[in-house]
Amino acid sequence: MDNNLAGDSPPPPPPPPPPPRPKWRKVAYGGMQIGYDDNYTDETFLEEMVMNANVVRRDLLKVMKDSISISQYLCIVALVVLVWFHTLQSSLDETSLLLLDLSLLALGFLVLLLTEEKMLSLRLLLRYVTNITFFTTGLYVLAPVYQTLTRSISSDSIWAVTVSLLLLHLFLHDYSGSTIRAPGALKSPSLTSCISVNASVVASVFVASRLPSRGHVFAVMLFSLQVFLFAPLVAYCIKKFSFGLHLGFSFALMGLTMYSVYALHRLFFVLFLVLVVVVNVVCPYWLIRMQEYKFEINGPWDEAKLCFDITD
Amino acid sequence: MAEPKLRVLMVSDFFFPNFGGVENHIYYLSQCLLNLGHKVVVMTHAYGNRSGVRYMTGGLKVYYVPWRPFTMQNTFPTVYGTLPIVRTILKRERITVVHGHQAFSTLCHEALMHARTMGYRVVFTDHSLYGFADVGSIHMNKVLQFTLADIDQAICVSHTSKENTVLRSGLAPGKVFMIPNAVDTAMFKPADVRPSSDDVITIVVISRLVYRKGADLLVEVIPEVCRLYPNVRFVVGGDGPKHVRLEEMREKHSLQDRVEMLGAVPHSRVRSVLVTGHIFLNSSLTEAFCIAILEAASCGLLTVSTRVGGVLPDDMVVLAEPDPDDMVRAIEKAISILPSINPEEMHNRMKKLYSWQDVAKRTEIVYDRALKCSNRNLLERLSRFLSCGAWAGKVFCMVMIIDYLLWRLLQLLQPDDDIEEAPDINFCN
Repeated sequence: MDNNLAGDSPPPPPPPPPPPRPKWRKVAYGGMQIGYDDNYTDETFLEEMVMNANVVRRDLLKVMKDSISISQYLCIVALVVLVWFHTLQSSLDETSLLLLDLSLLALGFLVLLLTEEKMLSLRLLLRYVTNITFFTTGLYVLAPVYQTLTRSISSDSIWAVTVSLLLLHLFLHDYSGSTIRAPGALKSPSLTSCISVNASVVASVFVASRLPSRGHVFAVMLFSLQVFLFAPLVAYCIKKFSFGLHLGFSFALMGLTMYSVYALHRLFFVLFLVLVVVVNVVCPYWLIRMQEYKFEINGPWDEAKLCFDITD
Repeated sequence: MAEPKLRVLMVSDFFFPNFGGVENHIYYLSQCLLNLGHKVVVMTHAYGNRSGVRYMTGGLKVYYVPWRPFTMQNTFPTVYGTLPIVRTILKRERITVVHGHQAFSTLCHEALMHARTMGYRVVFTDHSLYGFADVGSIHMNKVLQFTLADIDQAICVSHTSKENTVLRSGLAPGKVFMIPNAVDTAMFKPADVRPSSDDVITIVVISRLVYRKGADLLVEVIPEVCRLYPNVRFVVGGDGPKHVRLEEMREKHSLQDRVEMLGAVPHSRVRSVLVTGHIFLNSSLTEAFCIAILEAASCGLLTVSTRVGGVLPDDMVVLAEPDPDDMVRAIEKAISILPSINPEEMHNRMKKLYSWQDVAKRTEIVYDRALKCSNRNLLERLSRFLSCGAWAGKVFCMVMIIDYLLWRLLQLLQPDDDIEEAPDINFCN
């Protein structure tokens, strides 16, 4: 009824555009955010995730050089087993064994003296000499006990137990350092390295108990214990002193072992060669290949690390 | 009585009479869903003598299945042993959606697997954060991958939890909904008369005294704050292995009159402890969603906390790094802004920020979305499991196939029509 006769009526204004929805906030309070579903995911999703932050990047040559310590120790153990074998077969007699022991002792001492950085005082040297004297006297006194220790046990059991103990010793051995350290060392030995030392000592006792005379028992025990307890320390000192010397020493040992095993039995030689190749070449390559699959995830969901030590 | 719109079965090992975050969540969510007109049934394992069917407030029916828990409140995982009872419950109550809670609950995983085999819609809620590096977490994540490979929708309680769940299970982020927990603001009201903050400022700590909750941080922070502010006292509620360290700290610094240790505080008394304080301190090292902070804010306390970004607005919480110096700085800032805090106003704001009714409405939307998902047959579903891993995928497929065959066998032995349906009893007054 009310017609607008005054003139053309202006067109109705266009409807106002809908208000833009507010920006999405990554918060939990306030209920559902207007204009967004609860499963809305924007580009800030997973932006605080950190991948592979602490992964060590390894180089093939360095890993191979590090694996030489392992094959060096394998050669040392192989040489000990060879000496045992020859003694059991009576190819080595008492006097030559004792000579071997004394020369090894002197050599080891010499290496320690030459490679030790701190000045070895006379007092420390005297302490070492006293310890070694006690050690040797103790072994000599106990030799008759060892000789009759396993008389009632059959040989098969002895060989089986010795082999398993040696394998345990090799698996748990601390290849990076030495369980027996010079006084004042920082890190205390771990449980597995103590177990491995004990395994090797028990293996030597079992083998020594199979020998005919007291002198043999004493010589073999002294030899085995010298090598198992002190060879890692000597090898560690050489490695710390000079890497070239360490390489030379390892290759010399490997050559000596290969020659001795070859002289003994062809099959063992082939097996030993394969073992050394696997440890030195195949395993490093395998490790480097597996590194590509490493996927470490860190983010705000991780438990926070306390920056102070908890002293109870 | 009107037909309920949705019929939901909540499954978890963790329920009343146990007290905790998951238990409270299930209870409150169920009550609010009942108020919205849906039907909710809860399934859990027997707690001591509490076995069989029980009814709780509002007509919430709880099935305490007679399986004994074997470690950490979890049922012994028999993979197929729960199939008959789950089938019976689902048929009796004419359930449409099955909602499982907590990745650590074996009953939840098994029930979700059986529900999927029988063609029901499943929804899963994750309440915790897990790592990726240790043996336990790796296995848990694999089990979670299995359950979530074939799920309809998933819910997480915070954004950090959503990122964590997506990474652990390989689920698409679009399938995961973020619905936080809430707090019962009617129960957590500030005191009628606020304790005066002029002479003594009280800082309240209520948490389990374990490493994970940052009890060691408390041992460093409390003496420092007591030294800097002579008018501050602490009230520590809760018990745990680190209780001894806190006692030693009290002895060492002679703080017996300034640090009060209450021991374990039952849930019903938490509010009465909170209203005696002005500031709430939370020092946990990791937290998916901290409800304690919400309870404190609802009682009008200012919060000082580590690691819980996004839970409260910036003016209600002072954040700190899990480092003693930073926490002391945060407490100093909190003490300085304390005079401007009004507990009643904070409580009223909390009522708007968090409520269980809102959580229930958002969960209802998730259920509706789940019901709209297409129901695939067995062969199509098996292809989802194969992507879980080279060996694991095939093992999971075998598990599902055997589950399907066992279900068909059960249908032969006890046909669906023979299972009597329970009537819906109306408890509303």
